[in-house]
Amino acid sequence: MASAIKSGALVSLEDLVPSSPFFANGSSLRVIGRLQEYSVETAFAIIVDGRAKLKVSTVHLRDLSFRVGSIYQFIGELRIIQPENEATLQARVGRNVDGIDLNLYHESIQMVRQFQAEYKGNQMVQ
Amino acid sequence: MEEEKPLTAVHVKLLAFDLLSLTRTPPTFSRSGLSISRAETLGTVTSLDHKPGCFLKFTVDDGTGCVPCILWLNLLTAPQLASRRAANPDGVMMAAEAAASQAALVRIGAVARVWGRITSYRGTVQITVARLAIERDPNAEILHWLDCLRLARSVYDRRSDSHRR
Repeated sequence: MASAIKSGALVSLEDLVPSSPFFANGSSLRVIGRLQEYSVETAFAIIVDGRAKLKVSTVHLRDLSFRVGSIYQFIGELRIIQPENEATLQARVGRNVDGIDLNLYHESIQMVRQFQAEYKGNQMVQ
Repeated sequence: MEEEKPLTAVHVKLLAFDLLSLTRTPPTFSRSGLSISRAETLGTVTSLDHKPGCFLKFTVDDGTGCVPCILWLNLLTAPQLASRRAANPDGVMMAAEAAASQAALVRIGAVARVWGRITSYRGTVQITVARLAIERDPNAEILHWLDCLRLARSVYDRRSDSHRR
């Protein structure tokens, strides 16, 4: 069980562009955004953060109610549909995070990434 | 100068990628030469394997890695705990009840804060759960990341450097 589960890499929607290393079929990601649209029929959600938006399939999620305007966090795998290069996150975990400090969240992601890079650099030196 | 106390009795806060890269140095684990044996992790529960009366295995994803956790639920039946049960039956009963009630809180998608001993299973670092809590604050994960960064830089790295000198 446990070891096969991939961690959802921390990424902001604005960083999730085709040139990003995270923008790949099968990438495990953790994203946050405000719910702009939700379809009960298709279980597709659209979340937005700044100017960026992402389509999220919530078909595998249970016990999560959706409210337009609320902030949600999803962990799942990215699917890229060609030739349009359209990305959809196949969510396996989701939760409402209304009340989160989004500015602090985005700043903290950068700090965690920087720390990981420093740590890996130090490990290579030792 | 006062000698610094060892960190082996403390639940050390580490990001998952850091925890998962510890080196096993029995009876403890080592982070760049610094001995540690207990850890605190916090993240989203992304998998569950529940064997009632035996164990609850789950993974905690903090965005840097997935930490495997195991909460033992067999305190009243495990043969290796017979002497402990005989010496302190009420204590073991209370611990078993606490473990069962904590197991009931763990759900996929919940944010769990886990304290426990660092152990390894089939070569992978894991946490044997002593205690857990479900976090409701949407900023809990962010604050945990920042705590881990601060402690790594100001305490753990500094102590590792002084061990190496």
